[in-house]
Amino acid sequence: MNVASKLPPIAAPADREGVSAKPPFLGFGLGLRAQHYDEILSDKPPIDWFEVISENYMLPGGQPLRVLDRIRGHYPVVMHGVSLSIASTAPPDFDYLRALRDLARRVEPQWVSDHLCWTGVHGKNLHDLLPIPYTREALDHVVGRVNLVQDFLGRRIALENVSTYVQFKNCEMTEWEFLAELSRRSGCWLLFDVNNVYVSAFNHGYDPHAFLEGIPADRVVQFHIAGHSHMGTHIIDTHDHPVCDEVWDLYAAALRRFGCVSTMIERDDNIPPLDELVAEVQQAREMADAILPGMRQAG
Amino acid sequence: MNEFARLQDDFQRGILGADDKVLGEILDSPKERREVLFGVYRHAYGSRLVEALRHDHPLLHLYLGDEMFDAMGQAYVTARPSHHPNLRWFSQGLPEFLKITAPYSDHPVIADLAALEKALNDAFDAADAPVLTLQDMAGFAPEVWSTLQFTPHPASRRLDMSTNAAAIWLALKNEERPPDAAALDERGRLLIWRHDVTPMFRELTPEEAMMWDEAANGIPFGVLCTMLATYDDADGAAARGAGYLHGWVTAGLLSEVSSET
Repeated sequence: MNVASKLPPIAAPADREGVSAKPPFLGFGLGLRAQHYDEILSDKPPIDWFEVISENYMLPGGQPLRVLDRIRGHYPVVMHGVSLSIASTAPPDFDYLRALRDLARRVEPQWVSDHLCWTGVHGKNLHDLLPIPYTREALDHVVGRVNLVQDFLGRRIALENVSTYVQFKNCEMTEWEFLAELSRRSGCWLLFDVNNVYVSAFNHGYDPHAFLEGIPADRVVQFHIAGHSHMGTHIIDTHDHPVCDEVWDLYAAALRRFGCVSTMIERDDNIPPLDELVAEVQQAREMADAILPGMRQAG
Repeated sequence: MNEFARLQDDFQRGILGADDKVLGEILDSPKERREVLFGVYRHAYGSRLVEALRHDHPLLHLYLGDEMFDAMGQAYVTARPSHHPNLRWFSQGLPEFLKITAPYSDHPVIADLAALEKALNDAFDAADAPVLTLQDMAGFAPEVWSTLQFTPHPASRRLDMSTNAAAIWLALKNEERPPDAAALDERGRLLIWRHDVTPMFRELTPEEAMMWDEAANGIPFGVLCTMLATYDDADGAAARGAGYLHGWVTAGLLSEVSSET
């Protein structure tokens, strides 16, 4: 039973003035990875902003938090989690939410995001971004959870579409219809992962442009672009390769559809030298400049 | 249980290998069978957690080799599913698992090596706290020294070893051939701490280990010296105690000092 849906409508903290404003355009960013700490701190590469994996800094102390404080002193930062498990039917983990809230108070990120997925039930955590059925029942449940999390954190969150490998028989709507309705009802922002749309569209045999057209443009605050591993009959979202031409093409279409959106290169494995990723960030910047001439500058 | 919760239950059971009921609830894709597609999740589960163990225990991985480490990792994943949202804490139970689970328990050096790596990992991201300096110590008059009590820095920890795992760790770290595993006649007493951001360890004498453990228990310096007098030359106990204390302060091992008076 979704308790939140039974309560009278109230103005959530996320709806209050100043908290509900759409986050600013940050420019072209990169996922912060430990392999690049020293180089970033010494060279201050031409990156507009960094995204950090929240859980990597939900720690008692030590070097990771010190580095994050220093990088935060030079760059805007956004927080991106992998364990919010917003769609889990298990009770919410309030210890996790408290730790997330504490980190957000320390970092003061431009926004906090996670994924439209679940990571486990019955007290277990599978540490994966697991798919959901796109049903009205699931939508009611997730809307309730997003409202709860936004109330707890005192800010709107952004949710990302994940790569999926299976589809459920009982789906009543498409993924993009689910995301659009979730965003409309809860007020959450959307993090549009271009690579994940490409992967899921291939795996399930639909047109990625239909996904793109189904997402409300005014809800999208961030793009992820990344690489993947093609297995022939399906694609696995490994985020361990350079961005491929097909994903760049879809990024171009996303720019035309959504306009000026903060864009980030996301590499999670096979982390290359920083220069290579800075070059990909630059490629995204040049593509956006060409497609959206005169787009406003970061900051 | 509602439909959504039941589906998540089936999905999780499928990933954990309990049954294949979930296959009745998902579709084949245009190009692939559902068994293969669901297998992506099943495979990712084990490999991601074993990868986390490799990340946390690089020298144990080097010591055991890919095949043995991954078999050990899969056994751990099966025996101790993750209950924490942060993957950082998944490997916390590994030393204890290796200590009590055959065939690893037949080779105690494996559990010792895992325990040393865990202690170093824990020191790395332990809570920050003030570091006591020699200047702080200089502020106390000689007559109150016997009453001084010390608080260890949160990054410091003690570890006892029944094997030569510390020597093996050092050899592996230096990319040298490790010595053969051996049981120690007398347990090795290690002190682990963080110097700036770098975890470190060193071996303690039985006397210094006793003094550290008791200091950490809040025993004041005067009593510690009396205890030291039972270990070696009684007349030199205070000087030895002051020497150990000096070493701890200069290494950044203590956070606070207080006087009972």
